[in-house]
Amino acid sequence: MAYYGQQQQGYGQQRPPVQGQTDPNFLWTVFQRVDRDHSGHISGDELGQALSNGTWTPFNPETVRLMIGMFDKDNSGSINFQEFSALWKYVTDWQNCFRSYDRDNSGTIDKNELKTAITSFGYRLSERFYDILIRKFDRQGRGNIAFDDFIQCCVVLQTLTSAFRGHDTDQDGWVTITYEQFMTLVFSLKS
Amino acid sequence: GFQQQGMAGYGGQAQPPPGVNPEVWTWFQSVDGDRNGKITSEELRLALHNGNWSPFNSETCRLMVGMFDKDRSGTIDVQEFAALWKYVQDWKSCFDRFDTDRSGNIDSRELTTAFQSFGYNLSPQFCDLVVRVFDRRGTRHIQFDDFIQACVLLKTLTDKFRAKDNQMNGTIRISYEEFLDMALDIKV
Repeated sequence: MAYYGQQQQGYGQQRPPVQGQTDPNFLWTVFQRVDRDHSGHISGDELGQALSNGTWTPFNPETVRLMIGMFDKDNSGSINFQEFSALWKYVTDWQNCFRSYDRDNSGTIDKNELKTAITSFGYRLSERFYDILIRKFDRQGRGNIAFDDFIQCCVVLQTLTSAFRGHDTDQDGWVTITYEQFMTLVFSLKS
Repeated sequence: GFQQQGMAGYGGQAQPPPGVNPEVWTWFQSVDGDRNGKITSEELRLALHNGNWSPFNSETCRLMVGMFDKDRSGTIDVQEFAALWKYVQDWKSCFDRFDTDRSGNIDSRELTTAFQSFGYNLSPQFCDLVVRVFDRRGTRHIQFDDFIQACVLLKTLTDKFRAKDNQMNGTIRISYEEFLDMALDIKV
């Protein structure tokens, strides 16, 4: 049995499991609304203000940075319309994914819902580890995870898993690693 | 130095709470922009400057608020601020000690010296990587705030590594889940 996600499954490659189509004219309208200063570029602040996690709390700025970092292909620090189209699709796909696991439609997912989601992505994690994930990613301190934190959780998990897999040459779920290798691995994931 | 870093107090405010150093109280009030008695990481960020007046890294501010927010309120009260303030000053004198050319920045060579003096056994190649990752301006140097962030991350990860290194030989064997648990700290 795989101890972590199969690479073929959708959560990888910076893409959530659900796919969708969006009309470009509609996207252009959204882009202009989000681009408050009409600069033609969306900054992290503008994106953060435009996104909602459905709980009336500000969208997690770390998730915003994570997303800008992923879609800002020209490294300008902001998002142009083309980059925005990809980002929009990403967010709505995550939203659909999140909704499908939020069984009780509470707007947040609890430990069991998180477990179902992450297991369906192909990860095999212990009961104890879901408690760790909730503790780490629950910004409201309510024992459950909002939409923005869910994205961050999944992306971080994906990043760390690929890094681990890179070292686990015999794919048995264990690595032997020196201090400097470990530090290099983790510091490289930063940024 | 830190004293000139924009945290100049306004003075003339109410008396400090009992047991709080008046100087700390003055700083606290100037940082507490909305005067609600609590400092958020954003207020802290607006109050702190690097030596060259560039704004402080917001991740470092969140990191520090997280470290000193003992009652897990998400904000810093004046008692917690006193500890945080001392922490920033200690890091500043540390930073200045390793900034041998007094540039206000630390390069890879200066960082290597710093890490060695802290007792970390890491190669110059690793220090190059740290500079690359934490250099927010693409100048191959890291500033004061990035230095704090790098040192805190290094210490957290080293403590976790050491806890697994039963034979103290610098090599550990860890499972996938142990790795995740250790590395989740990159998310501040």
